[in-house]
Amino acid sequence: MTGVQRVLYHLARLALALVFVYAGAVKMQDVVAFAGHVAAYQILPYAMNYLVAATLPYIEFLAGILLLLNLRVRPALVAVGAMTVCFMAALVSVLARGLEIDCGCFDPGGGQDVTAGVALVRDIGLMALLALTWWLRSRTITGSASRE
Amino acid sequence: MMFDDMKRIGLEACVLIALGALFGLTLNHQLVMDAFSGRLVPQQRQPVQELVPVVSPVPVLLDEVRQLTASGALLVDARNPELYAMGHIEGAVSLPIVEIDDALPGFLDRVTKGRSIITYCSGFGCPDSFDLGLRLIEAGYRDVRVFEGGFPEWRDAGLPVAGEG
Repeated sequence: MTGVQRVLYHLARLALALVFVYAGAVKMQDVVAFAGHVAAYQILPYAMNYLVAATLPYIEFLAGILLLLNLRVRPALVAVGAMTVCFMAALVSVLARGLEIDCGCFDPGGGQDVTAGVALVRDIGLMALLALTWWLRSRTITGSASRE
Repeated sequence: MMFDDMKRIGLEACVLIALGALFGLTLNHQLVMDAFSGRLVPQQRQPVQELVPVVSPVPVLLDEVRQLTASGALLVDARNPELYAMGHIEGAVSLPIVEIDDALPGFLDRVTKGRSIITYCSGFGCPDSFDLGLRLIEAGYRDVRVFEGGFPEWRDAGLPVAGEG
């Protein structure tokens, strides 16, 4: 692994860490409002929206912290990758049904309306960054023959 | 070797998700339990006089609301008039909790006390429907219920709404 790749790896890892720590932390502040955003997707039964709102921000936050600390990086990438795939599926379903809702991706009380289309494009970028981080991380491990 | 590595990473990712979920559930267990038991309204206020028997509005779920309205129950919207005008459950009348003192006499003239009433507001822990239910019981209505899912649950279930949109 070259020095450039090492720098790139840490930059990508820290960018992802900040995204998920922030996304988790703001939603943890107002779980009820976030449940409202989840309900707006009209995918889950009423009470399940609360279950998602009560757990998802904490998973995002925990994964973000691991990325920040450079610990268990690949498991954290798998976890946030799986969640991002779910978000993308939900957004595609919103677009397909023509719902006009705020994605609720970050601050649930912030009122910064982000449409499903914009959120989907952003998630595609996020997936690319996840893939890049995974690839660079794997090279680090191969290079130094160390384990996670 | 490669496969073992992937298996370990997958397993650790599952543990991470489980830990995060557990953490969230520990902090929000009351909210989740309330959502699943259909009890998303704040605790009722302590009665001023302990000797007076306290009657609370009975919580009802979406299916019951549909059955009750089909058999003649009246839906009453506790939200403010602007929200009512933007969109409300089809057939619901507006009785905003913020204007209750002015609006209640007219409501008493129009609606007999024997009529079944279901109050609702904006769901998600909004207390107005519950407070309105208490006021209607105090005013003499005998069958008062609260639809706690409120307008959002009704709309999200694709049921008929009225208003400006």
